[in-house]
Amino acid sequence: MIANAVVETDSDEEFIEEIEKAQNALPKKINANPKTVEKGLAKLVLTLIELIRKLLEKQAMRRVEAGSLSDEEIERVGETLMKLENKMEELKEIFGLKDEELNLNLGPLGDLL
Amino acid sequence: MKLYLYGIINSSDQIKKSIYGLEGSNVYNIPFCDIGAVVSEIEKPIQDVTEGAVLGHEAVVEKLMANFDVLPARFQTIIDGRDSLLSMMQSYYRDFKGNLERFHNKCEFGIKVIWPADKVKANILKVLKKEEQKILESDNSSSKRFIKKKFEGYKIDIEFEAKADKFIKVMDIFFSRFAAEKKLEKLRTKNLLLDAVYLVEKDRENDFREAFGHIKSGPLGLKYLFSGPWPPYNFVVLSKKPDLLRDSEQADLFGKVTQCQALVGVGSI
Amino acid sequence: MIVPAHGRHIISAVFQEKRYKMNNAVAKSKDVTLLEILDRVLDKGVVIAGDMVISVADVDLIYLGLKVLLSSVETMEKLRGSPFISPMQEAK
Repeated sequence: MIANAVVETDSDEEFIEEIEKAQNALPKKINANPKTVEKGLAKLVLTLIELIRKLLEKQAMRRVEAGSLSDEEIERVGETLMKLENKMEELKEIFGLKDEELNLNLGPLGDLL
Repeated sequence: MKLYLYGIINSSDQIKKSIYGLEGSNVYNIPFCDIGAVVSEIEKPIQDVTEGAVLGHEAVVEKLMANFDVLPARFQTIIDGRDSLLSMMQSYYRDFKGNLERFHNKCEFGIKVIWPADKVKANILKVLKKEEQKILESDNSSSKRFIKKKFEGYKIDIEFEAKADKFIKVMDIFFSRFAAEKKLEKLRTKNLLLDAVYLVEKDRENDFREAFGHIKSGPLGLKYLFSGPWPPYNFVVLSKKPDLLRDSEQADLFGKVTQCQALVGVGSI
Repeated sequence: MIVPAHGRHIISAVFQEKRYKMNNAVAKSKDVTLLEILDRVLDKGVVIAGDMVISVADVDLIYLGLKVLLSSVETMEKLRGSPFISPMQEAK
């Protein structure tokens, strides 16, 4: 049996690449050995921390844009955000997690990050 | 016998032309009132997602679409028996009817657009650099540089989203003229600018294709994908629970349902 | 009475037909068609909830994209880690 719906494009390869990315085609293991459970928890915690960190960053940017931060405040916020970012990189490395892995799929609500 | 569900159709008639489903099984319609569930019998409940099975499923649904309004079922929807199926039809009857009516004589088309995200961002950066940022004073500490860089990225992202909105708006104006319903997803990946589906009446298909042709050959110069006609997978709307009907409606429906049950030989509720 | 096994479960896209990937337009257009179909058939459409449903392809179906789809079943299991391997066997 052959399906009849037609797909027309001049750029097959580009669309294949993007659609696969969009479908999040990463292999995921589902066994429950202790190492995996630990990693699962780390992923969850770090995802939430990333969420907060990104929200903080965004908030800071809005204030910079509005010009409502003093020079000294900019300095301090910059230092804090920088340290946070570096710390997150460290933690990601320790747990062997990549950026793409730190996310939560909320079903119909889409992804958290 | 377990039943593999292909979709719900707006007819209680038997399917005239033979259609073959998964593993060469016979596809037939189980009627319920004025609608029906199109199924084939299946032994093993779990199947692998093979290319053949997926194409086979799609082929059946498309054949149905040629003669009926169809609500396509998700791949691998397996019901544990005829009685269960009929009770399911009863629970979902209003939902199914509503959807079938919305889909009457319509089908789904998909349009995807790719743009060069990195180039777009690079252009935005060029423009941004021209407009000097006087926010940060002379003292060039690492923290300040960090903020400056983040701020640049922040502004680029905002402008990037705004540009995406603009492009999509232009295209959507063309397409939605011929569509009863639509669903648009912006920036599903950074390069996949638009992932859209449109519910189009069958006799407006040519107008819709023409509109796509205009955009494709137009000045935006992006990469386009057009697909269809599809059964309306993306437009099915089901409430999670069976409806809570008002008393009069309930009596009406119950009357109807009891009649139908008698027809199909299912015991009382 | 069969106990329903619906809910989130992971189905790997095991393509039983080994297909030699020709690097030409025909193969690519088949691929993109297949992706468009998968996008709909695995993720959209009528989803029935209830005890009578034995299985339904669920929202978080995870499949491996076209590159891996072309490999054999055995390779797939190795890459993905068979769901039926117990922690003891894994440790070996």
